[in-house]
Amino acid sequence: MIRRARCLAACAAVILASPVLAGESGETAFAKGSAEYARGEFGEAIEQYENAVRSHEWSGPLFYNLGNAFFRVGDFGNSILSYERALQLSPHLPEAEANLRLAREQSRALELRPGGIERYAGFASVDVYAVVAAFTFWIAASCGAINSFHQRRRKGLVVLIAVAILVFAAASYAVRLLETGSKGGALAIITAKNAEARSATADNASTVLPLPPGSEIEVVSRRGDWIYATLPNDFRGWVPASAAEFVRL
Amino acid sequence: MLPHRMTFPAAVFSRQKGHIHLGGRATLAALAVFLFATGTSAAAPSVTAILDNSETFVGQPVQLGIKVSGATGATPPGMIAVDGLDIRYSGQSQLVEGRNFQFSYSSVYNYTVMPLKAGTFTIPPQSVRVGGSSLQTPALTLNVAASTGRSARTNRRSDTVDPNKIGFAELILPKSTAYAGEIIPAVVRILINARVPIESLGQGIQIAGQGFTRNSSEPKESIEEIDGQSYHVFTLKTAISPARPGKIEIGPAEITPLVRIARPDPRRQALPKDVFDMDDPFFNSFFNDPAFQPSIRQEVTIKSQPHTIEVKPLPPNAPPNFAGAIGNFTLKAEAKPKSAQVGDPITTTATVSGRGNFDRVTAPEFEDDRGWHKYPPAANFTKDDDVGISGTKIFETVLSANEPKHNVPPLIFSYFDPVKESYVTLRSDPLQVRVEGNAAAPAATPAPALAAAPRAGASAASPPFAAKQNDILGPLSEPASTISTFAPLYRRSSFWLTQLLPLLGLGGYVAWKVRKVRLADHAAQRAASLREQIAELQRKLRRDDLPPDQYVADATRAIQLKTALAANVQPDAVDPATATNVFGADNFTRSRLERLFQQRDELRYSGSAGNGAGQLSDDNRRELLELVETLHT
Repeated sequence: MIRRARCLAACAAVILASPVLAGESGETAFAKGSAEYARGEFGEAIEQYENAVRSHEWSGPLFYNLGNAFFRVGDFGNSILSYERALQLSPHLPEAEANLRLAREQSRALELRPGGIERYAGFASVDVYAVVAAFTFWIAASCGAINSFHQRRRKGLVVLIAVAILVFAAASYAVRLLETGSKGGALAIITAKNAEARSATADNASTVLPLPPGSEIEVVSRRGDWIYATLPNDFRGWVPASAAEFVRL
Repeated sequence: MLPHRMTFPAAVFSRQKGHIHLGGRATLAALAVFLFATGTSAAAPSVTAILDNSETFVGQPVQLGIKVSGATGATPPGMIAVDGLDIRYSGQSQLVEGRNFQFSYSSVYNYTVMPLKAGTFTIPPQSVRVGGSSLQTPALTLNVAASTGRSARTNRRSDTVDPNKIGFAELILPKSTAYAGEIIPAVVRILINARVPIESLGQGIQIAGQGFTRNSSEPKESIEEIDGQSYHVFTLKTAISPARPGKIEIGPAEITPLVRIARPDPRRQALPKDVFDMDDPFFNSFFNDPAFQPSIRQEVTIKSQPHTIEVKPLPPNAPPNFAGAIGNFTLKAEAKPKSAQVGDPITTTATVSGRGNFDRVTAPEFEDDRGWHKYPPAANFTKDDDVGISGTKIFETVLSANEPKHNVPPLIFSYFDPVKESYVTLRSDPLQVRVEGNAAAPAATPAPALAAAPRAGASAASPPFAAKQNDILGPLSEPASTISTFAPLYRRSSFWLTQLLPLLGLGGYVAWKVRKVRLADHAAQRAASLREQIAELQRKLRRDDLPPDQYVADATRAIQLKTALAANVQPDAVDPATATNVFGADNFTRSRLERLFQQRDELRYSGSAGNGAGQLSDDNRRELLELVETLHT
């Protein structure tokens, strides 16, 4: 009995010692990271911010601060990746936009150019289009139900149904376009230095494009330790999987 | 650079005699307006003549064209007589050619020359009357070889396009050496025989090669005539930028269009050339036209020659603010407003114009920004050409002075000039502004009006590192109150759970409506049944052939049913009082109803009415029928 109690106590001690499992909140790690950052201890700040990331308490400011810390240590790839993540979570974070621009200039990172329709669809986010699609779907369904219980078809309702269906279709298309586009779920950032896209899955294959840290790629498929990706300037090539990270966690 | 030559598509602008294609008069009117708007060339009229082939066989016609430029209303020679040649006028076409937006207008008078015998023939100069003057064409020589009927037929078959000679491609690069990162304008021209119908351009124009990036515009299509042969010309302007030093192979430029190619038809060899075997060139060209021949769809690959470029690295000792711009640029700068208080925002606008790799043109730096707080610049590029080699990039940088100032420091921008092969540093003049007020504390919060300025959540304390030019904005002091997720909204379970609300609402509405409809159906069925029974009873009462007890019973039943229909009650529960109330009957009617119901009961239970008479007179029957029929709400 005593032995079992000791075992339980030891397990509890181990659990409590682990910052994440012990429930050291992301907020605490964030505060510690900010304190380290203010002292100029950017390596420590990165560690604390990454603890907060591991606790899954994600927020735009957390990734923004992490990006700043990476910027300070000259890791532009991870800095740009963190700013991109910050903007995914908080699309209207002007500090992240400004610092991302600066980091890209510093590292000369290459950007993917969205296609024509994607560029126009990009004025709103996927979430906005999803809400519009859901709203118009229910508008169309409700009007359809109301109309079907009326003996006489109402012209106004029929027009409203048609418009709602059109907007629903357009919003659904926009969701798909943005999700599969250059800034969608397949967007990854080159975090390694001296990364190069190659024409085949071999280190000695010919170079398609040198990719400075922070460059954007769109992952098409993966084969072993290599990913096949759409590159800036409409190229395609193989990139070592360890050289890039998806923006979305 | 290539000379800019523009030829309008013949399908739109060619005009056969007496027959206008496609756009018709509207097209010609638009053309006329366009020509006047842009200015046609006003050169003196000139005349030239050309044979599409100077060597042929007997029986193999060639085309003679007399081209009159710079004048309209020319009178071509009516008949050209040469012994051994049968020359016949075959029509007129008109041609508009553009070069650097200078347009010339020509008329081409076409003749078909049919060699009748072998030999060398000279077509003498021909007089063409233009306005009041007469111009002479040059003399032309045509060599005609003897030919058998077989060879003539073989040659006629050669009117079809050889699949291997459908087109060709050119990749034009203006230089063979460049610096890494330099922008090299390049032009790809794909020429496809105009007689070959093009179904699609496949994947478009591709430029093979590694170690360079490129920006491309959309290819432009035109029609050009080269050596008497018309070609569809697809011109792609692109900008190539070598990514690394060394030898780089660019190209070949390649396209794989899907075209229709005439299918060899062995039966045609066996057929006579035409009904009269006259070797009529019109007959031949008509039926040898790919549009009228059996054809097959085929992908053909058209490739240019590749080019090799020697890419040199940039020389060392670049200026400290050099960020990779290569080309030739100018710099202009201005600041607004001209007077401000300490801490107020002042916007400086730096305009970098010129030609080069604008993607590497970064914001000019301030020579000395001490006493200023600077925010990251915003850039806007306006390209002057299709591929963005030349243009203007405008940088707006917001500054706020920490102390009184008399001018904004000069802006400095460095680039590498590949022509001079040296670095060039541009420096703007100091920008006159007047900043007044007391000096702000070094860690003062910057102007809140700026888009990129730190917000309330930003750290107010100055970090220990010194603020530098182009420095990032500081960290935020508080995390967001809500925990975010990267999953887009439509992938979150909360989104789909939320959809349950409208789904339940809609389902509830539908269920309610369905129930209502069903209930309405039930009531309607009951009412219809009652009406039917009432009508049947009234018919029986009118027939007047019922025995008295049955007549009284039916009349009573009819009144019960009418009351039940009007008041939605059970018919059996209806008594005279109920009927009176429902129909609002007067006392007389009420007494008649009571008498009727009493009479019915007496007849039903005692077999005779109270007055002892088991009979109903006609008057009684009429009164009862009237009573039944007059009751209504």
